[in-house]
Amino acid sequence: MSTSSTISSIRVSERRGNNGVKALYLARKNPLMVLGIIVVLGWVIVSILAPQLAPFGPLQQNVSNRLQPPGGEHIWGTDELGRDIYSRVLYGGNITIPAGLIVIIIGSLLGTIIGAIAGYAGGVWDETIMRVTELFMAFPTIILAMAVTAALGPDIRNAIIALVVVWWPSYARVVRGLVIKTKHNEYVEAARCIGATESRILWRTVLPNCLAPAIVLATLDVGNAILTFAGLSFLGLGPEPTSPEWGRMVAVGIDYFDQWWTWLFPGMAIATLVLAFNFIGDGLRDIFDPRMR
Amino acid sequence: MPLYQFILRRILFVIPLLIGITLVAFLIANAVPADPINANLPQSQLNNPEIVEAFRREWGLDKSPVEQYLTYLGNILRGNLGRSIKTRQPIADDIGRFLPATIELATAGTLAGVTIGITLGVVSAVWYNRPVDFAARTVSLVGVSVPVFVLALLGLVIFHAQLRWVAGPGRLSARIASPPEVTGFMTVDALLAGQWTTFGDAISHLILPATVLGLYISGIIARVTRSSMLEVLGQDYMRTARSKGLHERVVILRHAFRNALMPVVTVIGLSYGNLLAGAVLTESIFAWPGIGRYMFRASTSQDFPAIMGVSILIATIYVVVNLVVDILYYFLDPRIRTAR
Repeated sequence: MSTSSTISSIRVSERRGNNGVKALYLARKNPLMVLGIIVVLGWVIVSILAPQLAPFGPLQQNVSNRLQPPGGEHIWGTDELGRDIYSRVLYGGNITIPAGLIVIIIGSLLGTIIGAIAGYAGGVWDETIMRVTELFMAFPTIILAMAVTAALGPDIRNAIIALVVVWWPSYARVVRGLVIKTKHNEYVEAARCIGATESRILWRTVLPNCLAPAIVLATLDVGNAILTFAGLSFLGLGPEPTSPEWGRMVAVGIDYFDQWWTWLFPGMAIATLVLAFNFIGDGLRDIFDPRMR
Repeated sequence: MPLYQFILRRILFVIPLLIGITLVAFLIANAVPADPINANLPQSQLNNPEIVEAFRREWGLDKSPVEQYLTYLGNILRGNLGRSIKTRQPIADDIGRFLPATIELATAGTLAGVTIGITLGVVSAVWYNRPVDFAARTVSLVGVSVPVFVLALLGLVIFHAQLRWVAGPGRLSARIASPPEVTGFMTVDALLAGQWTTFGDAISHLILPATVLGLYISGIIARVTRSSMLEVLGQDYMRTARSKGLHERVVILRHAFRNALMPVVTVIGLSYGNLLAGAVLTESIFAWPGIGRYMFRASTSQDFPAIMGVSILIATIYVVVNLVVDILYYFLDPRIRTAR
C-alpha cells in the first residue's frame, strides 16, 4: 500500500527538483521530525562519549550493593549484580545502535543487488528470486531470526547475520519493482544505443535512478531493526548475558519486575531511540508521500 | 468468478508456498554444523546404538540430502514433526498442548489491536489535522516504538503490582483449579463448565497480555485506517451522502468506513505475523504456556526439532490467515466477483 505510493510520489517530486528547499520547509513545519533528529544525534553522541560520561564501568560488579533503587551514588540504581544501570545504559548504545544500522545497511545493499538483478534480467531469474523472497517473507521476522540464531549459535554477530537474512527480501522486492519501471525509460535505450554493456546499464544507468526510494525505506526501517535486535537480545539470542545491551538488560525484569529501575531505564532507552527514528521516518513519509499526510 | 473457483485458485497458489516453508526450515536445520544425531538425541540415548539406528532410519540420514528432505516432508505430512530434546515428547503433541493458549491470546490480542487501531485511525481522519489527530497519531507511533517486552513489564508493574486491577503472569491463579479441558481455551472451558469464578480469573489473566499485544499491532492498523478513511472522505459520494441530509454518524460509519475497510482488512492479516512474533516475547514475560514460550525455551536450549516444528507451524498459520483475508475480499469487494 504505502510502499508503492511512496515510491511513485518520490519519483514525481524528483522530477520537479527543488527537493532540498521543500524538505527544509517541511522540517520546519514538522517539529517532531526535528525532535527525532536531535534525539538520535543525542544518543549517538552519548554512546560515543560513554567512557567519559559514565561514572562506573559497564561490567563493574558490587554484589553487596545489588538492586539499589535510584538515588545517591547510582542515579538510576543498580541491577541484580550491583552494576550501575546508568553507566550500563550509556555503554549499551554502542551495541544496539551500530547493530541496527549494520542490519539495515547490509540487508538493504544485499536486497538491492538481488532485486536489481531480478528486475533487470527478468524471466526465469526474476521468477526464481521472487519466489524465494516470498518464502522468506512467509515467516514472521523474529521467528525466522530466532531459528537462524539458534542454528548459528547465539552471539551478537550471529544475531546480526540472522536479521540480515530476514531483512533483505523486502528491499529485493521494492528495488525489483523500481528497476522494472525504470528499465523501459528512453535514456536506458539511449545508453544501449551508444554501446554500453548490459551490466553497465544496470549498475550505472538504471540502479542510481532507483536508489532514492530505497534509501527512504531504509530510514523508515531503522527503528524496526533496532526493536527486533533488542527483542532477540531480550530472548537471550544476542550478545552474551553480561553485555550491557539494552534488550538484554530488560530481560532481567522477568525475574525482578518489582525492581522497576533495573529494566525501565534500558527499556526507555530503546523506546526513545526507536520513537526518534520513527519520528524521522514519519516526517520523511510526509515529505515524500503527500497522500499519507 | 464463482466462489469455489476463487477459493480453489487461492489454495493452489498457497500449496507451493507451504512446501517451500518446510524447505527453508530444513535448510536452516541442516546449516547447523553439528552432526544431526548429536543435535537431536539427548546424551543418554546416544550410547544406545539401536535408538541411534532407528533415528537414522526415521529421518533417512543415511541417504542423500534430497532424499532426506523428502523423508522430512513425508514425516511432516503424516504429522510427525520429530521429538523435542527438552520435553522428550513428540513435537506435534507439544504443539497440540500449547497452541490453544496462544490462539486464545492471539485472538484477544487481535480484538484489542483492531479496536484500538481502528478507533484511533477513524478519530484521526474525521478530525484531520486537529489536535485530536495529532494526539492519536503520536499515541500510535509510541505504540509501535516501545518494545513489546517493556510494555508488558510496565503493564505488570502498574496494573498488577500497584493498582491490583488485573491478575499477574500465568493463565489462572494458583488457588483456582483448571476447568475440565474441552477446547483448551481457558475462558471457553470455564464457561462450558459453568464456573463463573474461574472464567473471571481467566479473563483477568488474559486482559493485560492481550492489551499489550493489541497496542503492539494497533499502530500500523491506525495508520492505514487513517489514510484509507481520508481517501474515502474526499470522494464525491461523501458529499452526496451529506447533501441528502444524512446524519454525520451515518455518513462516517456506513458510507465512509465500510468503503475504507479493504486496506484495513489487508493490514490486519499482515499484522497477524507481528502478533505471532509479539506472542513469543509476551508469552515469555507473562509465563503464558503457549507455543511462543515453547519456541523461546527451545531456541535458548538449542532444541532444534522443536524450533523447526514451531517455525513451520507459525509460518503456516501466517500464510493461512492471509489466505483467509484474500477470501474475505471476495465478500467485501463485489468487484472481485465480476473480475476476469
